[in-house]
Amino acid sequence: MACGSLPFARNRMEHAAIFGWALLWFAFWGVVGGVITPQIYARKDLEISQASFGGAVIGAALGPFSLLPLWIATPKIDNRMIGVAGALVVGIFITAFALADPDNLCVANGEFVISQLANGIVIGIIYGLMALGLTLIFSILGVVSFAHGEFYMIGGMVTYFMTAEWLPGAPPIVGILASCVVTFSIGYIFERIFLRPLGSGQIERPGEYAILVTFGLAFFLQYFTQALASANPVKAQRFFPFPRTEIPLDSGSLLRTTPGNITILDTISIPNPRFTAALLALIMLAALLWFLYHTWTGKALRAVSQDRQAAAVAGINPNSMNTLAFSLGAMLAGLSGASLVQVFSWLPQVGIPAAARSFVIIVLGGMGSLPGAFLGGLVVGIVEAAGTGCVPDATRAAAYIPAYGMVILTLVLLLKPTGLFGREL
Amino acid sequence: MIPSLFPSKRRLQQRRAQKFWAVAALALLTLIFAACAPQPATVGDTTQEEAAAEPQPTAAPAAEEAMAPIKIGALTPLSAPGAVVGGEAMRDAMLIAADEINAQGGLLGRPVELIIVDTEGLPERGTAVTERLINQDAVVAIGGGYHSSVGVAAKEVAHDNGVPVVFAETWNDTITSVQYPEVFRIAPLNSEVSAVDVKFIQWLRDEVGTRLEKIVILTENTDYGIPAAEETTRLLGELGIEAVTFGVDIGAQDFAGIIERVKAESPDMIMTLATGEASYNFTQQAADAGLGPQDVPTLCNQVSLVSDAFWTNVPDGNFCFVRRVGLPTQLYNDVAINFLAEYQARTGKEAAESYALAAYDSIMIIAQAITEAGSTNPTEIIAALENITHEGSLGTITFPVNQNNTPEQAGLDPKWWHQFPDPAITIVQYQEEGQNSVSATVVYPQTYQTADPVIVGQ
Repeated sequence: MACGSLPFARNRMEHAAIFGWALLWFAFWGVVGGVITPQIYARKDLEISQASFGGAVIGAALGPFSLLPLWIATPKIDNRMIGVAGALVVGIFITAFALADPDNLCVANGEFVISQLANGIVIGIIYGLMALGLTLIFSILGVVSFAHGEFYMIGGMVTYFMTAEWLPGAPPIVGILASCVVTFSIGYIFERIFLRPLGSGQIERPGEYAILVTFGLAFFLQYFTQALASANPVKAQRFFPFPRTEIPLDSGSLLRTTPGNITILDTISIPNPRFTAALLALIMLAALLWFLYHTWTGKALRAVSQDRQAAAVAGINPNSMNTLAFSLGAMLAGLSGASLVQVFSWLPQVGIPAAARSFVIIVLGGMGSLPGAFLGGLVVGIVEAAGTGCVPDATRAAAYIPAYGMVILTLVLLLKPTGLFGREL
Repeated sequence: MIPSLFPSKRRLQQRRAQKFWAVAALALLTLIFAACAPQPATVGDTTQEEAAAEPQPTAAPAAEEAMAPIKIGALTPLSAPGAVVGGEAMRDAMLIAADEINAQGGLLGRPVELIIVDTEGLPERGTAVTERLINQDAVVAIGGGYHSSVGVAAKEVAHDNGVPVVFAETWNDTITSVQYPEVFRIAPLNSEVSAVDVKFIQWLRDEVGTRLEKIVILTENTDYGIPAAEETTRLLGELGIEAVTFGVDIGAQDFAGIIERVKAESPDMIMTLATGEASYNFTQQAADAGLGPQDVPTLCNQVSLVSDAFWTNVPDGNFCFVRRVGLPTQLYNDVAINFLAEYQARTGKEAAESYALAAYDSIMIIAQAITEAGSTNPTEIIAALENITHEGSLGTITFPVNQNNTPEQAGLDPKWWHQFPDPAITIVQYQEEGQNSVSATVVYPQTYQTADPVIVGQ
């Protein structure tokens, strides 16, 4: 029997037709705008780099009411115009959804919406940190590391074993630092041995070589960890249990904490492990940005990512930057794992879905773009939370989690192949 | 700097040195890996080289064949997304069974070789490894099996090849209801387990006085979870209890969104029909969100009986109710007591999980059938299984509905075909943090009750 026909409660929209028509409107006028607008702009010898994307968004927003003025006046399509049209599309989408399913929790329960949004932002920050590592590696080495998920897994494993098995009772920071050292070291050694030949011209097909060698590393790390640590799930204890607090003291209406949870304004409830993981991710992000923008080495990294040969002429050793970028990227993945091992049960295979999500995020944000990776992480986190919370069919809402990011990715690639913040080709 | 087309001597030396260090590093890693890899006695997905299985050197090929080990296949999940905790427990139990058989001289004068394969909890993988067991390893019968979806797929392969299989922990009703001659099961039926769950819930409501008007079921979207949720929902409906079901995929990790939806339902009880680490993830994340076993009565998945893994992954799991299949420990027979001693010695665990007992029995039943058949011919093993009376750790195991007493003749549903009819099912509750499942309080049925249940959040 198909899941959809199970006798489960509240698994269908009340007025699905309204939502269906809205989607059809977006699809039809989006395609019309995306196809015709660049042709009109090209005929008038105008800038067409944003014409397809802009035309599609503007068309999806108001259909003929916005497309006709656009085609007649042919103004310059800038980010502001696209942003306004995008906001309109989102607004129409939400309105159609609310009209189609007025009893849905995402429509009828404000507290639920805010909690889901908070959940999405919190997990999105961590996704962003992990994706930053992957995009850093890509921007410097031009290599997509298929072992990124395994560095994430090792970060969590090292933190767990340091704090629970090898040094029971040790503060979590010891485990986190150890995970940094281990993942950075593995990344350093691997880059020196296996990726350094990429830059020396010794490899005939460097692209394929990089894919295969990082795949090999992924399998090696996964099964090596399984041999050492077994495939049983483990989990670190909460890093920083909250004290029981209520502000104000008698009601806790502003802030209430228990060891496992923090509740803000009696509305936003965030479990302790997620809150601390997101906080750690933000600290790491700030440290990374400071490193990249305020130190000579960080600036050198950025220089190599922008123009490798020019950076070499300026006295920067690109090979050293390669090694540093790969090690740093591995460490960022390890840090994400270290912060999440208190949230999820941890297995040697835990990195596989995380890596797949990171690939989605960096393509969504624009390959090689650091802000794109972080914002892409936030977008995926929020979309996943919205999908899980709002999809009417309770039996499938969580099962579709991997698909939510993919839908956004597909749309972005269709309309803006370079990703949200990618460099124009 | 412009790289030269002709590397200098120094550069060549550097390259040679790099290559040397690369080879040395690889060799070192390989050595470490080899040293740390599991020893052959506990190897998964490969042939188990038992000491007793070593054939004696003989001169004639016929004699060699006569002394060749009898191969028995064993299905168990040893990698994610399968329930690895359960899979490893079953693997250890089946290895104990093989050791015991070999220590007693093997079967038909030949040693037994147990070939354990990793199903990963995936039906496609289950099909592939069952094909391999039958067509490549030439096993005479297959035991084990944890996930229903794997059992549903593997039974087709066993049937197509005419090889008997005794499933230990696959609950889906259709596994036996298709009435394949080769398929036997000592695990309980999904529908029967659902009936016990609902009777327990009814008892909590009517006898204990627990408020139970709405129950949230978290189920995995598999051949185990979907029918179980469906049957439970139907039975709860007959009692006037509303059930709201949330589905997740096997191996799901992040439940934050679903937990918010569960919270919005304000359930009086939560029931988890998701196996493996997904069950741990959900229960602990629910506890973090104030909806755990200490906040709302929660019927946790049976994987929670693996106490060490449970408390590591669900530190806030106290007051979980857990369904336990098999005799209560106070009623353990000699077979179960002896098995438990071996199991404790091998694994260091204090208690044996129900699926470990079932896995052990599945191999021992096959061994008894081979002995009684006096042959490794699959047809004769199947005939022996149909008439078997096996004193196992789960009790006296028989398959009373068979070719001589078909479901139609017995007036029973086809699901009882080749089905062990009497697996005992009890509900236990952790009532102390860090408690071992063997000492967990038996709360239902009242015949076996050791203390009253603790009802939270009322």
